[in-house]
Amino acid sequence: MLIDTTACVGCYACRTACQCQNGLLPDEAFIRFEQRERGVFPAVAVESVPLQCMHCDDAPCAAVCPTGAAYMGADGIVAVDQGRCIGCLYCMAACPYQVRARNSETGSVDKCRFCEVSNYVAGMNKTTCVSACPTKARVFGDLDDPNCELVRAIVEKGAQPISGTLTQAKVFYVR
Amino acid sequence: MTFEPIWGAIIAWYLFLAGLGGGAFVTAALVRWKYPQAAGIRRIGHIIAPLAVVVGLLLLMIDAKAGLHNPLRFVFLLSNFGSVMTWGVVFLGAFTLLSVATAALEFMHRPVPWWLEVAGSVLAVCVAAYTGALLGVCKTFPLWNTAILPVLFLASAMSTGAASVFLAALLRCRNEFHQITAALKLHLVFPVVETVLVVALLFVTQYNSVAGLESVASLVAGSWAPLFWVGFAVIGLCGPLAMEVWLLFFAPEPFERGSRGRLVSAVANAGVLVGGFLLRFLIVVAALPLVVVMPLF
Repeated sequence: MLIDTTACVGCYACRTACQCQNGLLPDEAFIRFEQRERGVFPAVAVESVPLQCMHCDDAPCAAVCPTGAAYMGADGIVAVDQGRCIGCLYCMAACPYQVRARNSETGSVDKCRFCEVSNYVAGMNKTTCVSACPTKARVFGDLDDPNCELVRAIVEKGAQPISGTLTQAKVFYVR
Repeated sequence: MTFEPIWGAIIAWYLFLAGLGGGAFVTAALVRWKYPQAAGIRRIGHIIAPLAVVVGLLLLMIDAKAGLHNPLRFVFLLSNFGSVMTWGVVFLGAFTLLSVATAALEFMHRPVPWWLEVAGSVLAVCVAAYTGALLGVCKTFPLWNTAILPVLFLASAMSTGAASVFLAALLRCRNEFHQITAALKLHLVFPVVETVLVVALLFVTQYNSVAGLESVASLVAGSWAPLFWVGFAVIGLCGPLAMEVWLLFFAPEPFERGSRGRLVSAVANAGVLVGGFLLRFLIVVAALPLVVVMPLF
């Protein structure tokens, strides 16, 4: 996925769409926002940075999970097996991006799924955070396909993971 | 940005009790080795150890809500041996078994075999050190992510374990308590070591990152400062050390062996327990995560 923070207006539409699509509790969100000041006075602005599971190749959550509930799927998407999670929250402590959320009813931990489940169920071909974004700040696609819109946008805009090579993240940011 | 700590008081209690249980077991083993006649104190240590660890484990299960609702999921805990928590489960499980067996032998007034005590002590050290490694491997929190933490928690575990045994001995076997002065003096090493380790932890952490600096600042000068200075540093560390040093080296012998001397000793050991808990609690709640979104200029 690519997120262009120069286009992001911080409207939280992606987060709300995600909560609706995935049936999350009101206090459970897979996208969190950080605001950063940028520029030098008087040319200053506030940058909104939506953060969510980066689906790291080197996923710290899967490394520390004692039950194997957090795992790397064959398609490169990091997932949580809700039937194995005991809610110890070790993954939440290990995640450098602090984007994992606890379901306050079941006690288990969940996070952005890149909508793999709802894609198949609802027949949608895009994650709703992408389609809900009014400024088209988000692009979703297959990183292994050099001709897809996502990879072309990453190359064209010089997008980078939010924190360098830390954890080999698969979400790219334009800032 | 305000940050809500991931773990809270329940986990701090668990880290404290697991360490205390391990420390009590090791104390009992050392008392038996050095003072074979102090059977009452040894028994106390052997009974406190499984009690503390089992209560700690129950707290852990209560905190892991999804597991509490589906207890069968706890079986999965042995599925990822790359996780420190899985190793912790192994150590805790083995230590609980051995310490319960030891306590059972004590209740039946049967001799505890030496190998049981040695194996239990090794596992006790593993349990105490693992509680530090559990937090220590989290790169996200600079306050935790240091190799000092397992050593600090181990020192604190031995200190609190011994303090709990001494406190119970003051209530239950006073005569034996006055025979183990060398053990009481050895116990003074721990607050000194802990002070050095805590200062080193704070000093190094505040240098290594913004989050590290902010975590340390919240402890020494921020919202946690009153609890840190009054609760941990004075009541939990320096106060007990000063009281014990005075009692063991400077107080007149009749005072030391009298009821007021015992009261001072009891207060000092209770202070060590308070300090041991607050150390875990403050380190758990004051840690702030790394800043991953660097500001642009």
